[in-house]
Amino acid sequence: MTAIEAVRLVAALARAEIALVRKDPVAAALLAQAARDADGLTPGPAVAAAARMARDVDLSADAPAAAATRKVVQALCRVAAQDAQAALLRGAP
Amino acid sequence: MRRVWGEDALLLERAGAPVAELAALEAEIEASLALPGRGAWWDAHVHLGRDRDGHRLAAEDLRADLDRWGIAGAVCFPANDPGADGQFGAANAAVLEAARRSAGRIVAFCRLDPRRAWSAALERMAAGGARGLKLHPIAQRFAPEGPDAVALVRAATERGWPVMIHAGFGARPLAGPLARLAEAVPEARLILAHGGRGDARAIRDGLAGRQGVLLDTSLATLPDLVEIAPERLCFGSDRPYGEHASALQLVALAAALRGWSADQREGVMGGNLGAWLPGTA
Repeated sequence: MTAIEAVRLVAALARAEIALVRKDPVAAALLAQAARDADGLTPGPAVAAAARMARDVDLSADAPAAAATRKVVQALCRVAAQDAQAALLRGAP
Repeated sequence: MRRVWGEDALLLERAGAPVAELAALEAEIEASLALPGRGAWWDAHVHLGRDRDGHRLAAEDLRADLDRWGIAGAVCFPANDPGADGQFGAANAAVLEAARRSAGRIVAFCRLDPRRAWSAALERMAAGGARGLKLHPIAQRFAPEGPDAVALVRAATERGWPVMIHAGFGARPLAGPLARLAEAVPEARLILAHGGRGDARAIRDGLAGRQGVLLDTSLATLPDLVEIAPERLCFGSDRPYGEHASALQLVALAAALRGWSADQREGVMGGNLGAWLPGTA
């Protein structure tokens, strides 16, 4: 992961994280973009799974199943962001 | 009940989530963790009960999470559920009961609002076996350096209790007020939650090196953690707002980036907390 790829991904995931916390339906679109940003990179599979769940499940709902899914999507965003931040801190080219 | 990423797998399946794929992703995280002492780890930051915002965690679900990740035990306190008395009476009692039933795996901290009468509640919690205090200046809307909070921290400190204080998201600056609290009660032992991310640079410069201050890693950020000495850190998850896979990955990444020794890693994962709470590590 290059520094540019990592910065782009961290920024995309930060936008998605806030949307998820606020239960904003725009989270699905933001995660779809983040998944494109992450494609082919180490965090790619986690972000792709998060984006698919955001597309397939109404994450703005309050039902227990939706809330559980939203929490998992947030966790996947965290691990992906942490991966990208680690790449930057390691001095990615 | 099977749990994945801290959630009930059946609930996730009902929502249409790809549980097998999620389990595989979680296993990848687990395989990447280079943290020694598994089985003796302690989680310094867990909320039990139900938050007004809907987050919830039952003691039996926490036990499943701890078993899943090889975590020996957790410091637990209520979620943001002040209840009818506004002083977390029922929620604190529930945490104490969970601790009593946990065979030592749960250490109870009591959560109190310093703006309300707290003396009797503190006595009850101490008599019930609580070993620390949890304060949340944002949720309970008080100034950590104000006279009410200082008096409560002083009372907890006189009992030998550490004091966990939220130091995460919030509009107001935190470093100055927390430094004034530490100056007002110089013998206090403060655990600043979330790696101090709510005011990270100022906390790093003004508080992170101070005697009597630890920072927990729950929902902290990697850039913040790598700037703090590992001797000042203790692992935390912030369940149920956070979960263990990402919490452990965060510490493992910080350890790798900064080249923490095995002793330093074990300290973060339990030893540093254990020095303040004997019997937890």
